[in-house]
Amino acid sequence: MDFRLTEEQVARRKEIYKVCEELEKKKPKSYVGFESQFDNEEGWAFHRYCAKEFAKRGWLALGWPKEYGGTGTMMDKVLLAEARGYYDLPGSDIFGVSMLAPTLLAAGSEEIKREFLPKIASAEVMFCELWSEPNAGSDLAGMTSTAVRKGDEFIVNGQKTWNTGAHYADWGFGVYKSDPNGKKHHNLTFILNNMKDKGVTVRGIPYMNGSHVYNEVYLDDVDMSAKYIVGQENEGWAVVNVLAGFERSNMDMVYGLVKAQEEFVNFCNETKRHGKPLSQDPMVRNKIAEFACSIEAVRTLAYRVADQQNRNEMGLMDAASVKVFASELLEKFGQIATDLLGPYGQVKHSKWAKLNGSAEYNYQACFVPIVSMGTNEIQRNIIAWYGLGLPRMK
Amino acid sequence: MDLRYSEQQEILKKSARDFLTKECPKAKVRELENDAKGYDPALWQKMGELGWLGFNIPEDYEGMGYSFEDLAMHIEEVGKNILPGPYISTVVNTFAIVEAGTEEQKKDLLPKISNGNCILTLAWLEDNGLFDASGITLKAVHKGNDYVLNGTKMFVDGAHVANNMIVVARTKDGSGEDGITLFLIDAKAAGIKTEVIPTIALDHLCEVVFKDVAVPAKDVLGKVDKGWPILQMLIRKGSILKSAESFGGLQAVFEMTVAYAKERVQYDRPIGAFQALQHKMSDMWITLGTSKYLLYEAAWKESEGEPNSKEASMTKAYINEAYKLITALGVKLHGGIGTSSDHDVPLYYRRAKAADTAYGSTDYHRELVAQQIGMK
Repeated sequence: MDFRLTEEQVARRKEIYKVCEELEKKKPKSYVGFESQFDNEEGWAFHRYCAKEFAKRGWLALGWPKEYGGTGTMMDKVLLAEARGYYDLPGSDIFGVSMLAPTLLAAGSEEIKREFLPKIASAEVMFCELWSEPNAGSDLAGMTSTAVRKGDEFIVNGQKTWNTGAHYADWGFGVYKSDPNGKKHHNLTFILNNMKDKGVTVRGIPYMNGSHVYNEVYLDDVDMSAKYIVGQENEGWAVVNVLAGFERSNMDMVYGLVKAQEEFVNFCNETKRHGKPLSQDPMVRNKIAEFACSIEAVRTLAYRVADQQNRNEMGLMDAASVKVFASELLEKFGQIATDLLGPYGQVKHSKWAKLNGSAEYNYQACFVPIVSMGTNEIQRNIIAWYGLGLPRMK
Repeated sequence: MDLRYSEQQEILKKSARDFLTKECPKAKVRELENDAKGYDPALWQKMGELGWLGFNIPEDYEGMGYSFEDLAMHIEEVGKNILPGPYISTVVNTFAIVEAGTEEQKKDLLPKISNGNCILTLAWLEDNGLFDASGITLKAVHKGNDYVLNGTKMFVDGAHVANNMIVVARTKDGSGEDGITLFLIDAKAAGIKTEVIPTIALDHLCEVVFKDVAVPAKDVLGKVDKGWPILQMLIRKGSILKSAESFGGLQAVFEMTVAYAKERVQYDRPIGAFQALQHKMSDMWITLGTSKYLLYEAAWKESEGEPNSKEASMTKAYINEAYKLITALGVKLHGGIGTSSDHDVPLYYRRAKAADTAYGSTDYHRELVAQQIGMK
C-alpha cells in the first residue's frame, strides 16, 4: 500500500489550500456553516464569487475529458473538496458540478454536453435538483408529476419538494412521468429546465433553524424543450441510476469535521472551568479523542474511495459507508459540542455565541447530510442489498 | 496513493489462511483453551519452519526480514482464524531485541525465536493495572555484577511456557519514565514463580512472582534507566499488530453473521430479509470499513519509518471498540445459538475483550491521542 500523495499532488494540494485560505478571509460574517450559501443574498453572492475564483483556475471541470474543457485529475477534485471542507467554503455547485456534469458526460447527447458543460465549468449557471415529491421521497415510484409531449415540447405539471437552493438556481434538472401507461422504470423522462420559465413557482420551506435551504417547486403547464432531455425519452430511470452511481468521497464533509475538531481543541485549551482549562478534564479529553479517532477512521476510508475513483473503479459500498458515518459523526459532534458549551450550547451565531455559533448550527444542520442524497437508512439498504447480498425488500 | 494489497500480500494472506484452516480448526482452539500449556508445540514448530516466527527478524539472524505492513496483513489472517498461544506477543517482543539488543543478545536469541525454539514474553503490567510509566514498581536493585528483582507482574502472556522474558523494572526511585530498565532473562530463572490466571479468553495470561531473582548486568536490554522508550516502541507496534489481529477477528464474525442470516429461515424467509437485521449488518460493514484503512495507515507508516504514534493509538482505541461492537452484534444476530459455547462467535466475542486490554485499553490510548491532537 501507499498512502502518499505524489509530489505533483502535494504541490497541487498546497496551491488549492492557499487559494481556499485566501477565500476564507472574504467569508461574510453571516456565513456560519455549510448551508449558509443558500440562506441569504450575502451567502449566495459569496458562493458565486468562490465559484468564479475556482472556475478561472479550471477547478470546476477537474477530471473531465479534455475535449469538454476538462483540467486536472479526479484526485485534484478530491483535494479541492478537502480544502473546501476544511475552510467551509461553497463555490462548487453540488448539483451542477458534482451531479449533473458527470451525468451529462456519461449519458448526455453531444448537443447538450456542448451547451451545458462550459456553463457549469465557468460557474455561469447554477443548478438545482427537482426530484422528490410530496409522496415520492425515498421511493421515486410514487412520483405523480407529469410531462406530456406535444411536438418538440413537454408540458410539465406537478409539485416537487426539498429542492435545495431552488430559489437561487438558474436551471433545474428533474424527472417526470412521461408515459402514464409505461412500465415501471420505463415511464420517466429526465429533463433540464430554466427556473425562470413561465409556470415555475418556488416557495421556501424553512429549515428547523429558520434558514432558507429547501424549497417546494410548483410546475404549472411549464413548457420544457425536448432538446433538454438527458438520455432517452421515458428512460429517465436509467439516467437517475447513472447519477446515483457516481461515487462521492464526501471529502468536504470529512474535512469539515477535521476543522471542527481543531477548533474545538483550541476552545478547550482556552476555556477555563473551575480555574483549569477545559482540556484538562479527563472526560473531555476522552470524548474529543474518541471523536478524533472516528474522524481519522472515516478520513482514511474516504481516501480509499478517492483512490478507487481515481482508477475508475467503483466503490459504492465504501462511499455509502463514508456518507453514513461522516454525517452521523457530525450529528454526534453537534451533541458533544453543545453539551460541553453548557448554557452557551444553545446560543445562535451572535455576539454571545462561542465558536461563532457553530455548535448550535451543527446540532441542527447535521440532518441535511443525513437525510439528503439518499437517507442514511436508504444507504444502509444499499449496503445490505447490493453489498452484502441480503434479500431485497419487496 | 495506492490502497490495494500488493501481490505478495495477497499470497501471504492466502497461505496463512490455508495453513490455519488445516492446522488450527476451531476444535483445536477450544481444546487449547483448557490445555495446561495453552498452545500446541508441534504447531509452533511448523510455524517456525514456515518462517512465521521470523517475519520481522532480519535475514542475518535467520529471519525473513519482511516489512511491518506485510506482518500486519499476516497477523490479520491469524486473527481471522484464531491461533491460541503467545504467538503475537513473541513476534512483538522480538522487536525489542531487534531494535535495542546487543549483538550478543541478537545472535543468541533471534535465530532461536525464528526457528520456533524460543517463546519470548513481556512482564510489564502489575496489580495496579496501569499502562503508563507510573504503573511500574517492580524493583531491580544493583548488587555486585547482578541486579536483584523483587515484585509481581500480572497478565504476562504465556509466562508458564516462555523460554525468555523481558521484565520491565524500576532501577531508580520515582514513578516517572526515567529509571525504568528492561531485563532480558531466562523465564525459568531461580526465584520465578508463575501461575495461570483464569481470563475471559482462557488465553493463559500469568501472574509472575519474582523473589530475589538475580540477573547478570549483561542481560539489561538497552540502557539502564532508559527502558521506557523501548517499551513505548513495543506498545506502539503491539497496538498495531493486536489491532490487525482484532480486525481479522471482526471480519470473521461479520462474514459468519451475514452467511447465517442468509440461511436461517423464520416466518418463511431468511432472517437476513428483515430490515431490523439488515441495518445492523450494514452498521457492522461500516464499522469494518472505517477500521480497515485506519489500521493500514498506521501499519504503512510504521513500515515507512514515519512518525505514527498518534495513528497507532487511534487504531487501537478505535478497533478495540469496533471488535467488541461487531462481536456483540454477531452474538445477538445469531440468537440463542450465538450464546452457546459450542458456537464460534463467542470465541471471538471473548477475545475482543481480551484484545482490548492488550497493549493498552481504549481509555489509555484515547489519552495518548488527546495529547497528540493538541489538548493541553
